[in-house]
Amino acid sequence: MSDTLHVTIKVNERSVAFDVPLTETLLTSLRDRLQLTGAKRGCNQGVCGACTVMLDGVAVRACLSLTANCEGQSVLTIEGTGADRAIAALQDAFIEAGALQCGFCTPGQLIAARALLEQNSDPSVEEVQKGMSGNLCRCTGYNKIIDAVRTAAGKLHA
Amino acid sequence: MDTGLFRPASVAEALALLARLPDAKLISGGASLVAMINARLAEPAALVSLAGIEELKEIAEAPGGGFRIGAMARHRDLAAESRFSGTLAVLQMAAAQIANATVRNMGTIGGAVAHADPGLDYPPALVAADARIEIAAAAGRRRMAAAEFFVDWFTTALQPGEMVSAVHLPAARPGIGLYHKFARVSGDYATVSVALTMVREGSAISTRAAIGGCGPTPLMLAEANRLLSGDPTAEDLRRAGNLLQAAADPVDDVRGSAEYRLMLIPRMLARAFDEARLHAGAAR
Repeated sequence: MSDTLHVTIKVNERSVAFDVPLTETLLTSLRDRLQLTGAKRGCNQGVCGACTVMLDGVAVRACLSLTANCEGQSVLTIEGTGADRAIAALQDAFIEAGALQCGFCTPGQLIAARALLEQNSDPSVEEVQKGMSGNLCRCTGYNKIIDAVRTAAGKLHA
Repeated sequence: MDTGLFRPASVAEALALLARLPDAKLISGGASLVAMINARLAEPAALVSLAGIEELKEIAEAPGGGFRIGAMARHRDLAAESRFSGTLAVLQMAAAQIANATVRNMGTIGGAVAHADPGLDYPPALVAADARIEIAAAAGRRRMAAAEFFVDWFTTALQPGEMVSAVHLPAARPGIGLYHKFARVSGDYATVSVALTMVREGSAISTRAAIGGCGPTPLMLAEANRLLSGDPTAEDLRRAGNLLQAAADPVDDVRGSAEYRLMLIPRMLARAFDEARLHAGAAR
């Protein structure tokens, strides 16, 4: 076992410090040290999108981020979005459209959709398809997710 | 003291760390290296993070035309780069097709180039664009043509202790650059890709075409480029496709059999060439 590194990061506005091995990912730290299990470990290769979180305001893969390399940075996970207007609108729209079944991918879908709407407040179907292409869902067939993201976009700038 | 995460503030400091820690790996965006760590294909004892080196983050216009793209430039920034006109659009178009929006927020051109996975989108685009890779070593910096930099599967001309510090693009020329990728699903590595630049010179054209995903390194042939330049006929295009097909050395993998990849090469070349010619004509 290699030596551990002392790291201080902010998670959902709270400062946290821990000692982690060099190669521990942010996803492991969130799930196993902080019990923030909203971000999911799907592929652990950056493909599936289930671990998507915000890091200093940018959507990233928690599974491809090393905790030690996040020193001083600020993480937002789905657990920290209780007061977020965009997430609330997206959650309502996902429920209404039936844009989830098992729910495994949903935290990542919501964070990715929030990031997309920050860049583009009124995305077309194609723009949602492109913007969300990195978030796999094995239940819905995607059309309901696309509908939900566009519905939420409409409500947010209504 | 030989383990841990190091955060140099300059390229010189990074090179000094590499000299002192021969087993250390450089980490920029992490999109490839951390995936390899997760798959247990890499287990570095020490990492040198390039995140604090400001010089590596710039995308600057070069005094004599062209661009110097710092190694830490993100795929996202290159995909959104509006200054890549004419032939240089090939790089912007390749960047926009890498993985997905979230991974493009993380990955960097220097990381991708040094990783040299033949399925990546940048290598054929850089070869077609006649880009040069800037290599930083203790003895100084040198530039090498992208076509020489990629030498084998996951292998580049980088020597131990060296790093990619930038990518240099030549001045844009009137015409078009484009990148077509055939992949199983959006964001996958290329089964086959074609990167092509076409310069308009009066009524004649000058073309460079590179094939990705079909062997250890991007495939470009001087003879194929010659056939695709001047005033090519349909027969010239067919012969160029056959030459590239004969020279390609693809493998069977989950993205397609070698035989399937070989079938795709002339078809994708023809599609890219026809599109480029249409646009190069219209763009004059």
